[in-house]
Amino acid sequence: MVDFSLSDFDRAVLDGVAAEARVGEKYARYYDEHEDEVLPKSFPEAAQFPPIQQRLRGRPRDDTPMLLLQVLMRIEREAHCGVPLRQAPTALGNAALGAAGTDAQKARWGNLMLAMSITEPGAGSDTKAIQTTARLDGEEWVLNGDKIFVTNGVRCDGAIVWATVDKSAGRGGIKSFLVLKGTPGFELVRKEKKLGIRSSDTAAYAFRDCRIPRDHLIGGDEGVPRGEGEGSASYKGVLKTFNMTRPFVAAGGVGKAIGAFRVARDELAKEGIAVDFDDSRHARSATAQTLLELEADIEAATLTVMHAAWLASDGMPNNLEASVAKAKGGEVCRTGPQRAMDALGAMGLSHDYQVEQYLRDGRIADIYEGTGQIQRLVIAREILGYSSAELT
Amino acid sequence: MNFSSNDTDDMLSETVRRFATEELRPKLREFEARRSVARDVQERFESLGLAAIDLPEALGGVGLGLSSRVLVNRILAEADAGAALALDRFGPAAYVIETFGGSDLLERYRDLLASRPETRLALLIDVDAGTVLEGPVRGEAAWIASGNADVLVCLRRDGAWVMESGFELEQARGAALHATGASRIRYGGAPAHVWRDSTLAAQAWAKVRLYHAALIWGVLVDAAGFSRRYALERVAFGKPIAHHQALAFLIVDMEIAVERVGLLIADAARLIDAGMDGTGAAASAFVDAVEASRFVGPNAVQILGGHGFMRDYPVEKAMRDSRALGLLAGGTDAAQDDAGAALAPANPMEFAA
Repeated sequence: MVDFSLSDFDRAVLDGVAAEARVGEKYARYYDEHEDEVLPKSFPEAAQFPPIQQRLRGRPRDDTPMLLLQVLMRIEREAHCGVPLRQAPTALGNAALGAAGTDAQKARWGNLMLAMSITEPGAGSDTKAIQTTARLDGEEWVLNGDKIFVTNGVRCDGAIVWATVDKSAGRGGIKSFLVLKGTPGFELVRKEKKLGIRSSDTAAYAFRDCRIPRDHLIGGDEGVPRGEGEGSASYKGVLKTFNMTRPFVAAGGVGKAIGAFRVARDELAKEGIAVDFDDSRHARSATAQTLLELEADIEAATLTVMHAAWLASDGMPNNLEASVAKAKGGEVCRTGPQRAMDALGAMGLSHDYQVEQYLRDGRIADIYEGTGQIQRLVIAREILGYSSAELT
Repeated sequence: MNFSSNDTDDMLSETVRRFATEELRPKLREFEARRSVARDVQERFESLGLAAIDLPEALGGVGLGLSSRVLVNRILAEADAGAALALDRFGPAAYVIETFGGSDLLERYRDLLASRPETRLALLIDVDAGTVLEGPVRGEAAWIASGNADVLVCLRRDGAWVMESGFELEQARGAALHATGASRIRYGGAPAHVWRDSTLAAQAWAKVRLYHAALIWGVLVDAAGFSRRYALERVAFGKPIAHHQALAFLIVDMEIAVERVGLLIADAARLIDAGMDGTGAAASAFVDAVEASRFVGPNAVQILGGHGFMRDYPVEKAMRDSRALGLLAGGTDAAQDDAGAALAPANPMEFAA
């Protein structure tokens, strides 16, 4: 039977996460206004809160799948602007290393913070169009090219960098490489100036005859497959990473919509405008209607995210559901803060309230890790039964 | 019926476009950062006669009417809506002064603005004001689109007031329209002028709404145009992204939204210039402009993808500015009320209930 309820244990975990997130929220505006600064590894208040591993100790094995709880934790954090009191020691590159690296590579680099560097000025959604090249020269790979939008690219220890070893081979020629900071020819060009999520650093890289050891090829496979086919293990391995991260990105979007909703609801309540859920439709004010619709939309988006995470945690295919969740999460964090701002009026523009930041921060959720358009393409292929070659 | 523009508007458009393209657009980020427009740009704007385009000629204006004003606002906002607000020191408050105080009072404030180049009028719309207007008026607003003000003009449903002292502004930070500055305002003084007349208030409000709707229109024309041009150049999956139907149809829907906003604004301005009741049409045009901004602003960012999220491109600013403009002029809920009331004029009280 369908059951969306949470155990008391998990509820307590989420309450703890929310309490911690509320403290982190105090720093949100500072880092929004001071984009040049990078978050410290931890804030002083972090000591007041036990690490998440400690909170989860003794969790019943038959409880809600862990992936689901993690998604709910993400929603809770983002609903309070998502500035963590402790920075995660890993980044998306670590997930790629875990998915596609050899055991020796995982052991060697697993304790580093690794960013993922795919996007280029001329290649975003179309990842196979990347121009960065890797050429084997003796016992070294030589990398040349430009990368942008590298999340955590400033503070990471190194990055998993996508490059083609054979442009004529299409995506079959694309491999990923580990490049450590400080390697000659690897330049951190700039920290990007963004519309939102400014507490998260985003970098642009340049590789100019950057030489890395031969064994920095992720997966360790030095063969170069020819022609269009299934693609290399690295390409597919890394793409799989996104199947797992999509529900989390969607959860981030949902969280921001919740954050905006809460600000609007609480500020309006202070002015004596409360939403009465029992009012009939014709007796409801436009503001109440706006908040009710927003809440319903958030609830729907949350369920799509939970469904996608639940499937993944059970080992079932979730390609369709993860894209549905991402598309819906990307949408609700656009329309949600917009509606919340309408309810608040011009005060919603002030930095005194977080709602305008949710709008700016949330705008990225429908863009990164697969735009809403790409998600719709994935959904269309799934429900219409087309391959990626048949429907582009 | 005639959809074509006249020679006066064509000449006006050309002048404004040249000014906006040469003086405003290249300094988009500079004006944002300094929270104001450079003095020499302000002077050039005023020397071109663009400051009082729709005020009567007797008051040093050009007397061209609201239709010309919306045209000017659109073209300025195509370059930078924040700068457009900053440059107009009289601002939409002029409509309140003109409607209630007539030419004498308008002339007084015109002289005040002429004598002090830093002076400006700030407009506050108090939609929910319920108290009787007697004695000192107290209140505050968390965000108004003005970095400074010497005169505070407040428009309410039942009238208006003007305060020349007894209010204070505190610099505020906000999401958008940075070039015009922003303030938190607290007021508690005795108004220099108080008027009670809901019919006049509705007339003034109609002009205020069109003033802002035209700025939204301009931002959206630019956002839609910029993202459309980008979509023709940016290649993904072997062809320009505009050739992918998902984006092609999105671009079309954005164009339709912008087009319909322009027509509604032009129609409402024409009604008012002809001395007819344009309150319902102006409210509808404002509502539609805001609806369009919710769609066009974020999707201009979407079409540029990650690039749209970066401040290297102007579309993120368009998204912020158009969203902010829609929260001014009293917002959409009030405009919807007024648009609805205009559709059911026989018994407004029954309609409201």
